[in-house]
Amino acid sequence: MVGALICASVTAGLLTVPAKGVEQVTLTIWTFGEVIQPALQREYMKLHPEIKIVPIKNDVDPLHQKTILSCQTGGPADIIAFETPYSGYWRTGNRPKCFQDLREMKTSGTNAAAGVAAGLSAAEIKKNYLPWRWEQGVAFNDSVIGIPTDVGGLQVAYRTDLFKKAGLPTDRAAVSKLWPTWDKFIATGQKYVSKLTPAEKKAGKAFIDDAGSIYAAVMNQGTVKYYEPNNTDAGKLVYKTNPQIKTAWNTTVKAMNSGIGARLGQFTSDWNIGMNKGAMATILAPAWMLDYIKKQAPDTKGKWDIADLPVGGGNQGGTQLGVTGYSKNKQAAYDFLTWYLAPEQQLKVFKTYGLFPSTSVLYDDAALLEYKDEFFSNAPVGQIYTKGVLQLKPIFEGELQRTIDSKFGAGLGRVASKKMTSEKSFALVISDIDKLFKN
Amino acid sequence: MTQFKASQGRKKAPLTPWKTKTKKPLPGVGSLNGRWGYFAIAPFFLIFLVFGVAPVIYSIYIAFFKWAPMEDPEFNGLNNFIFLLQDSDFWLAIRNTFSIWALSTFPQLFIAISLAAILRNKRLKGKSFWRTILLVPNITSIIAITIVFQQLFGREYGLINLLLGLIPGVENIDFIEGVIPSHIQIATMITWRWVGYNILIFLASMLAIPDELYESASVDGATKWQQFRYVTLPSLKNTITFVLIVGTIGGLQVFAEPQQLNAEGGSSKQFLTLTLFLFNQAFLNNKYGYAAAVGIAITIIVLIISAVNFWITRKISGEGK
Repeated sequence: MVGALICASVTAGLLTVPAKGVEQVTLTIWTFGEVIQPALQREYMKLHPEIKIVPIKNDVDPLHQKTILSCQTGGPADIIAFETPYSGYWRTGNRPKCFQDLREMKTSGTNAAAGVAAGLSAAEIKKNYLPWRWEQGVAFNDSVIGIPTDVGGLQVAYRTDLFKKAGLPTDRAAVSKLWPTWDKFIATGQKYVSKLTPAEKKAGKAFIDDAGSIYAAVMNQGTVKYYEPNNTDAGKLVYKTNPQIKTAWNTTVKAMNSGIGARLGQFTSDWNIGMNKGAMATILAPAWMLDYIKKQAPDTKGKWDIADLPVGGGNQGGTQLGVTGYSKNKQAAYDFLTWYLAPEQQLKVFKTYGLFPSTSVLYDDAALLEYKDEFFSNAPVGQIYTKGVLQLKPIFEGELQRTIDSKFGAGLGRVASKKMTSEKSFALVISDIDKLFKN
Repeated sequence: MTQFKASQGRKKAPLTPWKTKTKKPLPGVGSLNGRWGYFAIAPFFLIFLVFGVAPVIYSIYIAFFKWAPMEDPEFNGLNNFIFLLQDSDFWLAIRNTFSIWALSTFPQLFIAISLAAILRNKRLKGKSFWRTILLVPNITSIIAITIVFQQLFGREYGLINLLLGLIPGVENIDFIEGVIPSHIQIATMITWRWVGYNILIFLASMLAIPDELYESASVDGATKWQQFRYVTLPSLKNTITFVLIVGTIGGLQVFAEPQQLNAEGGSSKQFLTLTLFLFNQAFLNNKYGYAAAVGIAITIIVLIISAVNFWITRKISGEGK
């Protein structure tokens, strides 16, 4: 509704602008978080004065609901962002038709000067991207419905000052060696917590912000989550049998019971404040979270560093941008996407906002590998995240991945708040998921 | 006075002018024999038909189907309703809704009547100012309210837990995970938003109480409290009923506050309300048919409550004895 109003006012505003000979095009982008970077948006509008880019932000889940509705009724969006956990939904059934098949599009050459040649279809730009990451935007009928913006890439952000106080090493190589496994990670956490004063403990300080975040990290280190590929679109549901789930669950519960977590839910106000107060010494941080930490806790500059994730290879999040099937400006939208998600722009986004590039051609580029971040004690973030991303294995994304994930999240929340035993809560998770497939 | 005369004069006119046999019907409105009125009210009924009645009928229809967005509906008989009665989340949602309703309505009544009694005071300075700022919370965005209240109610660094922490031996309260604490948090947001509106309603009805009643009460030696107890409160009977009914309707619609705290209504669905349950079935779980069935169930609950309300109102106003 608000979107419609904004669009209406934008169109109205454009009508009053005298025509400059070139036809004015307004690209409406439904997005969330920092997917569309204002600086790059301005840069593109400077390159193309005839194009006006209007990003409209929502949270991830409401945006998904809006996308479903707009696919049935048509809507104002030319480009829509969808997060990887939802990609399974858009790739299956008759839903790929909601997005334009980008193999049928060709770049027009309007960005030739900016490095995007004319006449490129999605099939031809594919080679720039990390192959399994690219596949997350490819539907099961092989149409390309979205181009990946970034890779989640998960590593451990830790506070060097707090580690020093607790008598732990502070050097990132030494810290990475502390936790080759999750068990060692938990043991390190216990060691850290044992050094806290009673007052600090009472104030809610602990080792990791939210022990529940370990679950997703362990899950993404496997190859199968809730769906197993079986040569069908939908895949086979394995949420009851996949041993990886039990491993991830038990590891997380163990971490919770060991008291290393401060129980600060990510993105809550307590979490933001806790970050400033040193309530946590570690955060399992996807590349895109680094910018959030900088913004929320600017005073902690230089006190952070980044170490490897236990076991190695972590992923969380990542987004695709697709052109809607009903868009009236498909050519302009595709031209914008091919420019916006080209390696040059992704490198800029990484340096300013920390979103890790999905374009694998950059992974051996010195500009990426040598990039250091002052905020994180000059850690070579480019190199660290590249290493983690290259260890990742592709995971089959199923239709209801996000919903199932949220049921497990709630289940772990019940254990963390000691409302239920681990076994009882797990059983409830399974019966909650069973319910999803009834009626 | 002229108006009075006019109405006196009208008394002589027949009640059904179209039935009297006048020789010439008047031109214009009169010639349509009163059917003009239908045109005048048509726009409302057309809009009501399209946006009110049609969706209701349609949702009853789809309640008998299994239907996910972008897929063909599949006839499902009464299964949606059978499943609903067995769905523990539904019963949880009923419990939560009524708990939040009670926690918001009754304190709100108490606060609203007390503050209205203060505002009624003739010696109060800046009356319009107070009345205006009371309505400010009502026009504030719910989302903004939720963000601010979440900070106030934060488990570790919230202001409320900070104050509670000053009392020795009191542990931090988790206003999200706890069942009653989370209801208190939501009820506080609702109260904060609606109490001003209710104060104004109570104030209006208090101002309608004739001053003579207070004067004679004070002549009889009644204290301020006795005046309030025996003059003000009994005169507010109908207003209290009104506020309770409006509060009940609002209470059954509580949605945005719990949704903002946690889209699924908490880890053990401790603050899942009925409307949030309905919304989640349709838009999180993609079950349009099941959501329609939930909608019908909510309608039935509303009907039952309305009947109870109606019965209580009749009792209070002393009709139907």
